[in-house]
Amino acid sequence: MQADINWLDDPEVFRTGQLLPHSDHRFYKNYDEVKNEKSSFVQTLNGSWQFHFSKNPMTRPEKFFAENFDSSSFGIIKVPGHIELAGYDKIHYINTLYPWEGHFYRRPAYSMGPDKKEEGMFSKAEDNPVGSYIKKFALKPEFFGKKVRIRFDGVEEAMFVWLNGNFLGYAEDSFTPSEFDLTPYIKKGENKLAVEVFKRSTAAFLEDQDFFRFFGIFRDVKLIAQPEVHVEDLLIEPKVTDNFQDGDLNIHCKISVGDAAAGVRFIVKDRDDKILYEKEQQAGNNIKIDGVVFKQVHLWDNAAPYLYRLFIELFRADGTLLEIVPYEFGFRRIEIKDKLILLNGKRLIINGVNRHEWSAETGRAITYQDMKRDVDIIKNNNINAVRTCHYPDQDIWYRLCDEHGIYVMAENNLESHGSWQKAGEVEPSYNVPGSLPEWRAVVLDRAKNNYELLKNHPSIIFWSLGNESYAGDNIEAMNKYYKQTDSSRLVHYEGVVRNRKYDGVISDVESRMYASPDEIADYLSNDPQKPFILCEYMHNMGNSLGGMSSYIRLIDCFPMYHGGFIWDFIDQALLVEDELTGQKVLRYGGDFDDRPSDYEFSGDGLLFADRTEKPAMQEVRHYYGKYK
Amino acid sequence: MENTNEKLRIIYGDGSLGISGSGFHYIFSYGRGGLESLVINGREWLYREPKPTFWRATTDNDRGNGFSKKSLQWLGADMFIDIKNISVRVNDKLIEFPGPPANNKYTGNEYADKAEVAYEYQTITIPAASVKVRYIVRSDGSITVNVHYAGNSSLPDLPAMGLRFIMPTAAAGYEYEGLSGETYPDRMAGGVSGRYKIEGMPVTPYLTPQDCGVHMDTDWLEIIRSTTKNNAENRKENFRIKICSIDKPFAFSCLPYTAEELENATHIEELPPPRRTVLSILGAVRGVGGIDSWGQDVETKYHIPAGRDIRFSFMITGV
Repeated sequence: MQADINWLDDPEVFRTGQLLPHSDHRFYKNYDEVKNEKSSFVQTLNGSWQFHFSKNPMTRPEKFFAENFDSSSFGIIKVPGHIELAGYDKIHYINTLYPWEGHFYRRPAYSMGPDKKEEGMFSKAEDNPVGSYIKKFALKPEFFGKKVRIRFDGVEEAMFVWLNGNFLGYAEDSFTPSEFDLTPYIKKGENKLAVEVFKRSTAAFLEDQDFFRFFGIFRDVKLIAQPEVHVEDLLIEPKVTDNFQDGDLNIHCKISVGDAAAGVRFIVKDRDDKILYEKEQQAGNNIKIDGVVFKQVHLWDNAAPYLYRLFIELFRADGTLLEIVPYEFGFRRIEIKDKLILLNGKRLIINGVNRHEWSAETGRAITYQDMKRDVDIIKNNNINAVRTCHYPDQDIWYRLCDEHGIYVMAENNLESHGSWQKAGEVEPSYNVPGSLPEWRAVVLDRAKNNYELLKNHPSIIFWSLGNESYAGDNIEAMNKYYKQTDSSRLVHYEGVVRNRKYDGVISDVESRMYASPDEIADYLSNDPQKPFILCEYMHNMGNSLGGMSSYIRLIDCFPMYHGGFIWDFIDQALLVEDELTGQKVLRYGGDFDDRPSDYEFSGDGLLFADRTEKPAMQEVRHYYGKYK
Repeated sequence: MENTNEKLRIIYGDGSLGISGSGFHYIFSYGRGGLESLVINGREWLYREPKPTFWRATTDNDRGNGFSKKSLQWLGADMFIDIKNISVRVNDKLIEFPGPPANNKYTGNEYADKAEVAYEYQTITIPAASVKVRYIVRSDGSITVNVHYAGNSSLPDLPAMGLRFIMPTAAAGYEYEGLSGETYPDRMAGGVSGRYKIEGMPVTPYLTPQDCGVHMDTDWLEIIRSTTKNNAENRKENFRIKICSIDKPFAFSCLPYTAEELENATHIEELPPPRRTVLSILGAVRGVGGIDSWGQDVETKYHIPAGRDIRFSFMITGV
């Protein structure tokens, strides 16, 4: 297989050569590793990489992946990180308009007709900078002889990958992992990994989120070795019985088994390390354990996020332990009954916030410490829910939410705002994904990536199809995918309010953004068909968050009102050195000669960009504390 | 100021009315249309005369819903104001205005129990609105300030209504009893009652500088300074002035900048180094809103309709 730059122009090509998406389970060699959460099967590739920046595809070093390519002129970049923040490309913030607004005229492929393929739109674009990354690495000796894959946790916005001159594949969907099998090409000595990252591709039409428009390898990169027998995918289905007392557990495992016979042992423990269930059997490709009953379970919720621990042990016939997969899961039931959203049989109240991944120093390349701090702030201020606007977060975030009882609306990486809303008006003449057949597989892939990665997190109670992308057959297909695949969660999508003919087939809930308290009361007083939530409300731009009591009052007035997610958690602004004083100051859109921009519109957080709380936070803490 | 038996000494000047007593000396200017000097324990507390204030630096929500444009007249009113009338009462009796030559009848030894100077301002809005500010000085040195904005319903909603003091140097901090944090009428439920001491005069670092730092429902406030502009001042110590509520709590903000200074900055680092103290005692505060930042108005009950009279009072004393 050869790389083809024309894939950048083709909405029907978005993953090539990638391994299938799978659950985010970690795996370890022994229980010491489990305890320290340090897997010897993982080798990080984070750090300094060789790097070359090209202004556009035409000027890129096309053959840089070749083993004999002379890269001595390349510079250095830190991975993970954004290419713009490393100083190579202009920082740019814009909200709904596409980032090429006023610079280039573009229409999505096929949006103007089935013959309008728009060839060369990105592959030959003047405004499509390219990052050529090279990482030379030697494999850990423990990895020799094992299958080895590479995992990119997040790369914006399209990338081609080579190892030792061999093409591995192509990936879009910037916010979910991309994995490639290195086994056929990996060497014991020095290996050359080459990654070519493009700022724009057809994915740009789907990733028009209200944020700084970065590109590059912005999340971890790691090598992952797998033992001879390995859990490839894991589905844990904890169900709560109708009496809300007992649990019913299914465990489905996809195991890659080697030639020799191997065994698998499943152990379920409670928080006190008491073994509640144990089963041992022959390892096979597909193992399904269904209907394991647990009497008198602790239910998982915000107040008491009780997690049980599953351990899957894989071992050779002689008993040698090969792999341990630990996974914490919870019993909880989310459902709609009599038009009410019920969690464990009780009405759900969402005291939520929208959260972008953000650091004033490093943009969307955030650390575990940043996330831990966010969890503390969320817990301290009685916030009980997070919408991952508008893309999947680093997977560790969902684990933190499991542990701390934070309800998650897990949103797909999808926003095509600029394709249907212009100058504030609904104008979907070239909307994608819309109902265009060529744009269907790509959004279904995003839905699947999100589901497969995160399906075992009790914290996730809603899948969200995306943000502000209008509504058509393709989003309907995403809705259908989730409904068919996962009966344990609800599906959310707000954009259907813009195209009501899809009301019956998109979204389990009536979701709005920025509806006034009067508008909400109006909906809820007129034979509402779906329970109501606000996926965005209380726009906390600058000195704001006045009048929250009028929303909180609705909780008592209307049972079908389930609360909402404040917009938003943290200001998106960047800490840079003031050109006059040398002091570190926060800058926003338009401060980098970036035009057009939406300037300070990204400063809507309950936190300032440096993670200190805005004065409005005490108001949130007060009202959200009333309905804990 | 503890000697309450002492009388006020009144100085019937040609351009001002001086009032002094034990540890205090005030000068009410005629020509400048306001209280020109407020000296307590030998230290000056005023840089310019207190004047009515009407503007708040545009918040993001104000910009989004066009409020600043609708209420624009109040920006001019905040910056420039006409003085229409000054009257003086001594021992509760209105006296003939004591300017020259009427003041020739007085001597260098004039005393009273109580003196009052009232300034009547007229805004440059169309139509004009009047604001009366009365200062009532008692023999203990306390100044009761009564502010009365006379409503005119032909004018747009007010962004704010208060009396703004500009002090000669930047405050070291302030202490107050009221609600925690920055509060507004539509965002004060989370404020916790208590006594709070604030270091310096923090400007809330919103991405773009805008109205900030309002404290609702305050019982008393003390401004703490450590510097003066008096070249002969040698004392190196903190000193305070106190604002107390009368009848009902007041709102205030204490910042190093006027609304106009904040209005013109696009980043906090563009604001000049803090040099003065801008204390606004507010009789009416508009809510900040929050439904969205591109059109939704602040809820009506948190507006300041121009047609309604606004009256508020507070007392200034030394500490």
